[in-house]
Amino acid sequence: MMQEARPDIPGQMVPQAQPASARRFRKSLRKDSSLYLLALPGIIILILFAYLPMSGLILVFKNYNFNDGIFGSPWAGFANFEFFFSSMEDALRATRNTVMLNALYMLTGTFFSVAIAIILNELRSKWFIKITQSVMFFPYFISWIIIGAILFSLLDYDKGILNQLFQALGLSQMDWYSSPWLFVVILVLANIWKSAGYGAIIYYAVLQGVDTSYYEAARIDGASRWQIITKITVPMLIPSIILMTLLGIGGMLKGDLSMIMGVTFLNPLLLPTTDIIDVYVYRTAIRSGEFGFASAITLYQSVFGFVLVLLANKLAGWYDKDSKLF
Amino acid sequence: MQTTENKGLVIFFYVCIAVFSVICLVPFVLAVSGSLSTESRIAAEGYSFWPRGFTFETYQFLFGSKAEQILRAYSMSLIVTVLGTLTAVLVTTAYAYVISVKGFRLKNFFAFFAYFTMLFSGGTLPWYLLSTKYYHLGDTLLGLFIPYVLSVFLMFLMANYFRSIPHEIVESAQIDGAGHLRIFFSIMIPLGRVGLVTISLFYALQFWNDFYLPLMLVTDQDLYTIQYLMYNMMANIQFLASGNAAQVGGAIIAPPLETAKMAMTCLTVLPIAILYPFLQGFFVKGIIVGSVKG
Repeated sequence: MMQEARPDIPGQMVPQAQPASARRFRKSLRKDSSLYLLALPGIIILILFAYLPMSGLILVFKNYNFNDGIFGSPWAGFANFEFFFSSMEDALRATRNTVMLNALYMLTGTFFSVAIAIILNELRSKWFIKITQSVMFFPYFISWIIIGAILFSLLDYDKGILNQLFQALGLSQMDWYSSPWLFVVILVLANIWKSAGYGAIIYYAVLQGVDTSYYEAARIDGASRWQIITKITVPMLIPSIILMTLLGIGGMLKGDLSMIMGVTFLNPLLLPTTDIIDVYVYRTAIRSGEFGFASAITLYQSVFGFVLVLLANKLAGWYDKDSKLF
Repeated sequence: MQTTENKGLVIFFYVCIAVFSVICLVPFVLAVSGSLSTESRIAAEGYSFWPRGFTFETYQFLFGSKAEQILRAYSMSLIVTVLGTLTAVLVTTAYAYVISVKGFRLKNFFAFFAYFTMLFSGGTLPWYLLSTKYYHLGDTLLGLFIPYVLSVFLMFLMANYFRSIPHEIVESAQIDGAGHLRIFFSIMIPLGRVGLVTISLFYALQFWNDFYLPLMLVTDQDLYTIQYLMYNMMANIQFLASGNAAQVGGAIIAPPLETAKMAMTCLTVLPIAILYPFLQGFFVKGIIVGSVKG
């Protein structure tokens, strides 16, 4: 029997069992027909919504019109790229915003998740941990639309709680919804609020699996709580932190359209910092119908994103062979 | 045996967690309070953590004149969540079973076939064009859930559950002459219960909260889900606020604007808040199994 691949890292299963001939494939089709039948719906979904859209990237060389569709539209050569480079500024702004926001989410999100997990690990009161963990996890269940609605009641110029507070303190009111750079902070805080509790569960679970004898030994040696945290707990979490970070790097060019739409409602005043690539494609192509240009930026996003995934994998391999994603 | 320095640190830790927990809940208090306030006082004095002029007016208004629209969006969300979750769980578990079968020649190929889509994608635009022009999913019920019925991440999670089921059980069934379909439906699904519940919950949450699909594919108001109705309400109010009133479509702009938003927020969160205490444990278990190796 062939050796089992490690079940938890799917990418390691490089296809090594391809049928050598069509005859063998037909035989396998007969023998395992029910397996193919079970996989079929999934295969169809993957082809329709993942593989065929990849072929849609030829759009970038096409002069798209809706009637002829992706494959019938006339070729445009490199015209779209020329257009792309001529309005480079917008594309660069979208790229910068995407990478900047994702990097900030990753740094702050990881920091808060790890901090919460470490603190929970130090607490002894079981009921306190249980209740607070449930409460902190709750925002993860709320859609960005709802978060956007609630944020509005916090940040609105006249009616928002924050400006009322500022007034009470004798400070001037802030116009949050027209301060692009200030809004970056708000997006980052909203992201922490929504996902830190979820992330903490992952790291907390890792800490629950740590052998307690390390802690006992440290305590016998007279280590202080702080020393135990920095010398045992943190090092225990580092492999998971690195793995999660590497997984995040691959998604660096993917933005969360739902978040930006839900929280900013595409407010034009905020676009200088919130116009991420997905929002940009939505605005130019889907709302205004400028397909050629948008497809150039889509191709660029896919290719650059793929390169980042390969890079992250390489980095993982250097750090530790077992952390490699594929 | 605790020193005073340690005691101070521990108290500090308790305070940190307590404060963050409170921050996680406070916004919901704000929403509830807003929904129970009177519109005129919100307009004059702004939002507050305690209802301004405690009243059920907004809810009466919503259930009076907007009842039909809200109920339709609510039931739409419910239909999408139920249909989507059922289809997704079936498609996902079947695929997961196939790649977990010991000795199946193509299982690694199928695993990679799914995994590759996590690495490389065609992006939003080709996806949108294919979905609307070739698959004709625009303004259809199918369009609101079909694109999401196979989450590759949850599929691998499920495959892990299947692999953890002792192989001897499958072997003895095979000796008794059971085929893969039978093994899948009458052995793997019942034995993979915990995994099944976990991925069902993740899917249900995703379908309930989704507004990406309606945003991309829906213009017909009859197909608005509750999240999308909410989005339209918010976006239109934004337009009004920024002086762009001309762009406001035929969406629901109702007299009690601010309190209505908060009331809709409460109504949208309510089902999750009610089910949360029962479901939370499963999610935590699911995340732990999915993220911690060995």
